[in-house]
Amino acid sequence: MEIVVCVKPVPEPETRLRVAPDGRTLDAEGVKFILAGYDESAVEQALLMKESVPGSTVHVLSCGPAPRTEEVLRAAIALGCDKATWVEAPAPFASDPVRAAGAIAAVLRSGAHDLILCGKQAGDDEAGLFAGALGELLGVADLGFVVDLRWDASSSRFKFQRVTEPGVERWEAAPPLVVGLQQAWNDPRTAKLPNILKSRKAPIARAPADASGATPSSEPEKFELPPPRTGARMIEFKTPEEAAQRLVRVLREEAKVLS
Amino acid sequence: MPDFSLSPEQESLRDMARKFARTEMAPHAAECDKAARFPDEIYRKAFDLGLMNLNVPAEYGGSGLSLFDQCLIVEELAYACGGMTTSVIANCLALEPILLAGTPEQKERWLKPFCAAYQFASFCLTEPSGGSDAGGLRTRARKEGDHYVLSGEKCFITNAPHASLFTVFATIDPSLRHRGITAFAVPRSAAGVIPGKDEEKMGHRASSTSTVRFEDVRVPEADRLGGDGDGFALAMRTLDQTRTPIGALATGIAQAALDHAAAYSLKRQSFGKPISEHQAIQIKLANMAQAVHAARLLTWHAAWTIDHGAKGTLESSIAKCFASDSALHVADEAIQTFGGYGYMKEYPVEKLLRDAKLTQIYEGANEIQRSVIARELLRAYS
Ligand SMILES: Cc1cc2nc3c(=O)[nH]c(=O)nc-3n(C[C@H](O)[C@H](O)[C@H](O)COP(=O)(O)OP(=O)(O)OC[C@H]3O[C@@H](n4cnc5c(N)ncnc54)[C@H](O)[C@@H]3O)c2cc1C
Repeated sequence: MEIVVCVKPVPEPETRLRVAPDGRTLDAEGVKFILAGYDESAVEQALLMKESVPGSTVHVLSCGPAPRTEEVLRAAIALGCDKATWVEAPAPFASDPVRAAGAIAAVLRSGAHDLILCGKQAGDDEAGLFAGALGELLGVADLGFVVDLRWDASSSRFKFQRVTEPGVERWEAAPPLVVGLQQAWNDPRTAKLPNILKSRKAPIARAPADASGATPSSEPEKFELPPPRTGARMIEFKTPEEAAQRLVRVLREEAKVLS
Repeated sequence: MPDFSLSPEQESLRDMARKFARTEMAPHAAECDKAARFPDEIYRKAFDLGLMNLNVPAEYGGSGLSLFDQCLIVEELAYACGGMTTSVIANCLALEPILLAGTPEQKERWLKPFCAAYQFASFCLTEPSGGSDAGGLRTRARKEGDHYVLSGEKCFITNAPHASLFTVFATIDPSLRHRGITAFAVPRSAAGVIPGKDEEKMGHRASSTSTVRFEDVRVPEADRLGGDGDGFALAMRTLDQTRTPIGALATGIAQAALDHAAAYSLKRQSFGKPISEHQAIQIKLANMAQAVHAARLLTWHAAWTIDHGAKGTLESSIAKCFASDSALHVADEAIQTFGGYGYMKEYPVEKLLRDAKLTQIYEGANEIQRSVIARELLRAYS
């Protein structure tokens, strides 16, 4: 099976974000970029699928600038992806999910793929547009919020579930298929140390993003940090009873919202 | 030119160790400390990820890391739990004599099967009658034909109750002192190898430590590491390699103590403001930060020196001694920053003090490190 997984370098969750002087982008100086939880789940799904269908290969792609894009591709190789393509594009281009999908679709059009995986949304802007855009541009069915994807060899179909607000849906679909995965449902593996070392030397194919004719689907107007929160107060306690007593006392005597 | 920036490869190794330490080790650190539990399941995962036999070349199934890269990993692990780290890295210590003195045939025979599966090895130097004076050890190795017969007792041996392989230092003739000491690789399965009960310890309680008795254990000559009488130098060369990661281990504990103290100081209020706004606490934090930074840099420098082919006895002794003294001091100051809560087991800092203490004692007590430092130093003046 030809499996593709698309990943996006996103700032580490603990990063203290700063807005760049232009007021419209993130200041990337000193920021560490990683695979987000959604993408880790997508890579894990790709590897599980590869392990369950003999003879499969996993091709990982990412669209973005140096060095962050190369770093997340190497992280995916260390986890077990077989080959990698870096679709080179500047940060503003790559952070537009529709343009990034277009650039990746341009690379994928030249091959045949059975399964194209990605996170259901990016770990940073959480736009949730990439999978849909990619499916549309490739003319392939796409679905998000997916968990527990399996290949059923007897029917030659994928079987999977979608976790949505009203409940869990059971689905099946024939390849090719674009899928956006839920986060961390599959306990993503950690790369082994020797594989990390090998991944540093693995070849990464490069494909310049074709920016011609691709108009931005959206552009950020202004980027600002949320105002610092104030007024929060921790109530220290040892037992739930003590917590409740202290809380009631604060509500009654200090906040005066209880009488 | 000195260069203190990590390569992308080093960053990814460190990040992986950090992730493992914080997601797999840290959540169990307090519980294992309290119950003195040896968390086999965590060590197995560490092995699966390649974190256990860091110094063994890849051709023998280890991770084949430079000493510098080992230090990056050890610091991260120790940040989460010093005791677990001691047990995870003990194989590096126990296997180093085989790496240094083993013939190609011995390396093939001992290291390959050992590294292929999850298992422990123990380094057996210290004896009940003395650890610092390794030249005076009493475990006997009597030659009988093409065999040696080992008899004696070792103590404070890390991972011994769980080990399948022991590197043992014994003397062929006590009157020869240093020149009689000889090293052997001995499997647990050999008749007469008897590990003792787990010791009850002050810290590093997730690690396991016991005596090992050797009751007329027959060891074929083919399992001797180096020649008769080469064992003392081999033990010293081994410790020259493994002392530096103890500096990293101490640095990890110290960094954890600093992080806890700084975070707590911002939250805890006294006299109407966070204690971080009292200058006495600021000075504490500033001094702690200096100690941690210096410990890390001395460790990095020692590792770099050894990776570049030097023996590094002086550098590694300085790093181990300074980092371990710093770890104890920084942990102490972290407790002081926490005040009464710091003294309570419910908070994480008192464990750091107990764990830091060991780093001043094992792999050469700091008194011995200081005498080594002075010896190397004075040599340069005489
Ligand atoms: C938890 C733990 C794990 C350990 N793991 C191992 C292991 O895996 N393998 C192993 O072989 N050993 C291990 N050890 C032993 C450790 O290396 C020794 O405890 C250490 O070397 C000190 O030896 P000792 O305890 O016999 O103290 P002693 O040698 O009796 O020393 C007692 C005190 O006197 C000081 N002293 C001794 N000689 C001198 C001198 N010439 N000048 C100045 N001061 C001196 C020492 O520094 C120390 O303060 C471990 C110890 C512990 C506690």
